[in-house]
Parts: sequence; structure tokens; C-alpha cells
Amino acid sequence: MHLSPLVSHYGRQFGILLVLILLSLLLWGLSPHFMTLSNWLNIAQQTALNAIIAAGMTFVIISAGIDLSVGSILALAGVVMAGSLKAGAPVPLALLIGLAAGFACGCVNGLLIARGKLPAFIATLGMMSVARGGALIFTDGRPISGFSPGFRAIANGEFLAVPMPVWVMGVVYLAAHLLLNRTRLGRYTYAIGGNEEAALLSGVHVQRYKTLVYAFSGLMSGLAAIVLTARLNSAQPIAGMSYELDAIAATVIGGTSLTGGEGHIIGTLIGAFIMGVLRNGLNLLGVSSFVQQTVIGAVIIIAVLLDMAIKKRRI
Amino acid sequence: MKKLVLPLLILGLQAGCRQGPKETGTPAIALVMKTLNNPFFMEMQQGAEEAAKTRQVQVIVQAAEREVDVEKQMQIIENLIQRRVAAICLTPAGSREVVPAILKANRAGIPVLIVDSGVDSVALAEAGGHVATFIGSDNFDGGRIAGQMIVDKLGGKGNVAILEGVPGHETGDSRLRGFHAAIDRAPGIHVVASQPANFERDQGYSVFQNILQSHPEVQAVFGCNDMMALGAIEAIAAAGRSGDILVVGFDAIADAREAIQAGRMAASIAQNPHEMGRLAVENALRALRGETLPARIPVPIELVR
Repeated sequence: MHLSPLVSHYGRQFGILLVLILLSLLLWGLSPHFMTLSNWLNIAQQTALNAIIAAGMTFVIISAGIDLSVGSILALAGVVMAGSLKAGAPVPLALLIGLAAGFACGCVNGLLIARGKLPAFIATLGMMSVARGGALIFTDGRPISGFSPGFRAIANGEFLAVPMPVWVMGVVYLAAHLLLNRTRLGRYTYAIGGNEEAALLSGVHVQRYKTLVYAFSGLMSGLAAIVLTARLNSAQPIAGMSYELDAIAATVIGGTSLTGGEGHIIGTLIGAFIMGVLRNGLNLLGVSSFVQQTVIGAVIIIAVLLDMAIKKRRI
Repeated sequence: MKKLVLPLLILGLQAGCRQGPKETGTPAIALVMKTLNNPFFMEMQQGAEEAAKTRQVQVIVQAAEREVDVEKQMQIIENLIQRRVAAICLTPAGSREVVPAILKANRAGIPVLIVDSGVDSVALAEAGGHVATFIGSDNFDGGRIAGQMIVDKLGGKGNVAILEGVPGHETGDSRLRGFHAAIDRAPGIHVVASQPANFERDQGYSVFQNILQSHPEVQAVFGCNDMMALGAIEAIAAAGRSGDILVVGFDAIADAREAIQAGRMAASIAQNPHEMGRLAVENALRALRGETLPARIPVPIELVR
């Protein structure tokens, strides 16, 4: 009956899903090691980190903002959590401390932007430097490493033969999907990104929801910090450099518009997988990292071109 | 527009594949380095590729986009395990952070040879992992040689400054320990300043500029790598004190050799990355034949003056 709005609603994601499928088929043809269950679990595990951060980034970008500080917040949350583990905190408490550190940094971002009226670019650029410096001060520049097997299981453990980071990613995307599509926070995120003034005039508490959006992004950085620290069995103050670019790329490839008001969380997940599959495939083929960067960059540009072309047609 | 995407992707991939080796049925040896855009590692790659050519084996060279990105290096190792390479030669981007990746290779039964920078042996032993061997220069000995040279040149008496590398970086730390082992035995030598400049040229410049301000009496400077030593040379020139201060670096990169010839730099310690790459491939083949390798395979170093 009303199929056409549904198609146009999900059309963008079908397009990007098609790119992922075709890319996978292509790599299947090029490498006999690509299309195996163990390699797909490997890809999913490698994608998890970027995907978790990109989930937060998607909220921020839909609200017409940007968060450049995700990598630095990840580093700070990681070393603070590692420090508390080393100080003898039980694992659940240390995890909470890590998440709280990320959430707090995100709150500061949000308050600076929503109440301080700073442009998101400037506020999060500042936080990028402040959090990185904080991580370096906290650790004196040295990594904190060597944790209990229980903590490391967060990255190395498996449940039903699927690595834990993949479960974490799954839960994050389920939660983010519900948040974005079934709650007031989600509706208002779209509203603020579409037209902030109109949202304000129609009674949306813009300041509160904007702050929440950045706090959520910080929380996701804290969660990613837990996964990364467990994966490397070490928290580095220099961890997460340029992660913001990967997260923005996954979001944009997934069809979220940098001008705000538009985007889908599942698109971001597919975007993160496109990047993960590309990196993995190019590694399997023995292609140098220089070429990998070029190819990933080209994919980002093509994805945005595609996005713009589709929007123009809709108008 | 959509029609454009796939051809472009295929084009990109094909261009990429022409640069890298094609995937074939022959067993491959992987060389995973810290970076591909540093002359040191480029020479290592060359040494490995030449050895692979003589031995008629395939070598796959990979590195993360950023030198300090241990997580990407781990991804590369995971992907190479999926690719079922026969052996992995690895220059770790983090001495402890790389341990979980080594464990994964161990579990897959793929021998790991560590090249250039060491792995934290305690962390490796605690995790129950093992590596086939360590192939690398003796950085401690290189630092000692540099220190001894400064002691001799100054006649056992004088003020020395040190430009340290990234704090906690094993390579720089061993050079520093070796340097101290030599100068601490000379009671007339005083270290007036010892500060990190993170292996970078611009930081070597600004840090040494500050040292020149606070300690104008400094007579010699040791940079834990050439980049910092070259930065110091520029700071010395800017202060109008060229020829006044003895500069000793480490690595003997092309710029440093030039500066030594021009008399602006006293000496540098040469590592041999080409030989490292060759030894990596040769010993990977030995490991694959089932031979037990010695725990350490030293690569010769020399003083360039």
C-alpha cells in the first residue's frame, strides 16, 4: 500500500548495503581467505571499536554538530579506568569509572556548546587537546598495562563462539536504534539538527537535549576505551589518535548528512563495516597501507557524492 | 551516480593489487613494520625483499598508517593470520600492547620473529606467549659507544646534555642507559640537562634552544636519534655557536651523514636495517624448517664519524 515512503525512507541504506555486499563479493573473488566464518568474526571484531564510537558520532552529526574529541576522550577514559584497576578497584567499579569519565567529558562538551553557545567544532577541538593532555599528565606519558584475565575477557572472551566486542557492538546498535527512533531524545535530535530555531519555538528543551547528545558520544568513547584497553591489555595515553576521522567517515558513508537532521544508525553500522571490510580485504591481498588510505578516502568521497545526488533527485 | 561506485571501487582495488603481491598458493612470510614512510624501515623492507627474491619466497610487507597505532598493527596481524602466512616478522609498535597479537599468532601455530624493537619479555612470559627470536641492534651498546666517544673527545671532563626519545620507549631507553654506562664512569663529565624531545627534529630544536639558554656552558649533546641531534645542530647555528658544541646522534640517517661530512656533527651510530630485513627473512625460513633459533640475533652497529 504505502510502499513508496518506506522505500525512500530506507532506500539510502539499501544503497549503502548494496555497496557492502558488492565489495564483499569482489573481495571473495580476489582472495580465498576472505569469505570464511572466522574471517567475518575477525572483521566484526575489528569493526566493533570504530562502530561503537560512530554510534555516538551519529547522534552528534544528526543534531548538526561534530565531535572531534572522541579519540582523546577514549584515551583519557582508558587511562583513568586502568589507573583505578591498578589501584585495586574491582572490575565492575573500574568499568563504571571509565564510562563516567567519558560521560563527564561529553557533558562538558555539551554544556560548552548548548549553554556556552560555542561552535561544536571549537568546543570539541578544545576538548580534544584538553583530554589528550589530561591522559598524558595522568600517566606521565607512559602506558598502563597488565590486567586480570577477567578484565581482558571483555575483548578476548567469546559467547556462543562470537567475540565479546561484537556482542557489545550489537547491544550498542540495538540501544542506539531504539533511542533514536523510539524516544524523545531521538526525535528531538532530528528536530534540533533539522532546524534548531523551529525546535526551540515548538517547545523542545534544546539545551538539555544537545548536552545529552554530546554526553552520549562521550559515553560511547568510554565504552570503546574499555574494549580497546582489554584488547591491548594496556591503556595508552596516545591511544585513539585520528579515531574521530574514522567515526565521522563511518557515519557519513552510512548516509548521515553533515548538515544535520538526517541519518540512520544502521547506515552508520554498515558504513563502519565497509571500512572494516576494506581494511581487512586489502590486508589479505597484501596491499600497502598507502593504497589502503587512498581507497578508503575515495570511498568516503563517493559515498557523499551518492548521498548528494539522491537528495537532489528527491527535491 | 550509483553506477559509478562499483567500477571506481574495482579500479581502486586493482590499482592497489598491482602494487602489492598477488595472493598465490606459495607460503608467504609477512614483515609487519611500524611504518612505511621512514627511511630506516624502507631499507629494512628492501633487505627483506632482496632476501626473499634470492630464496624464491613471497614476502608481504604491511604497516599501520600511524607509527604509534598498536591497535591497527594488531588488526594487520589478525588479518595475516586469516591469510595463513607461514611466518610473521614483526617490529612492535608497542612493547607490551603487541603481546595479545603475538598470542593469537602462537595459537594459530605461526612463528613470530621480533625485529628491531623488543617485546616486554615479562609481559610476554606472564601471558604465556613466545617468540622465535629477536633480531636487532644492541641499542645499549650503541649508546655506550656514543658516550665513550664524547668522554674521549672532551678529555674526560666537561658538561653534557642529552635529548631523550619518547618516555617509556624501549629503544630510546636502552640507548640512554648505554650512554650513561659510559659517561657515569668518567667523574669529570656532568650531565647538565636530560630532556625528552620525542625523537622529533622540531622538538630537538626547541628543547636544545632552551638548554642553550639555561646552560650556555654545555659542551656536548647526545641525541637518542639523529632527528633530535639535527634539530640541536640548527639550534646551535641559530645561537651563533656552530662548531662550539659536539653533537652525537644515533641511526646515521642520510641527513646526519651529510652533516658529519660537513663537520657540523661529530658522529652518529649506524644501525643496519637492510641487514635486519635480510636476517628476518633468512631466520623465518630457518624457523619454518624446524630449526631452533638463538634467543637474540645481534645486527652489527658501527660508529660513523
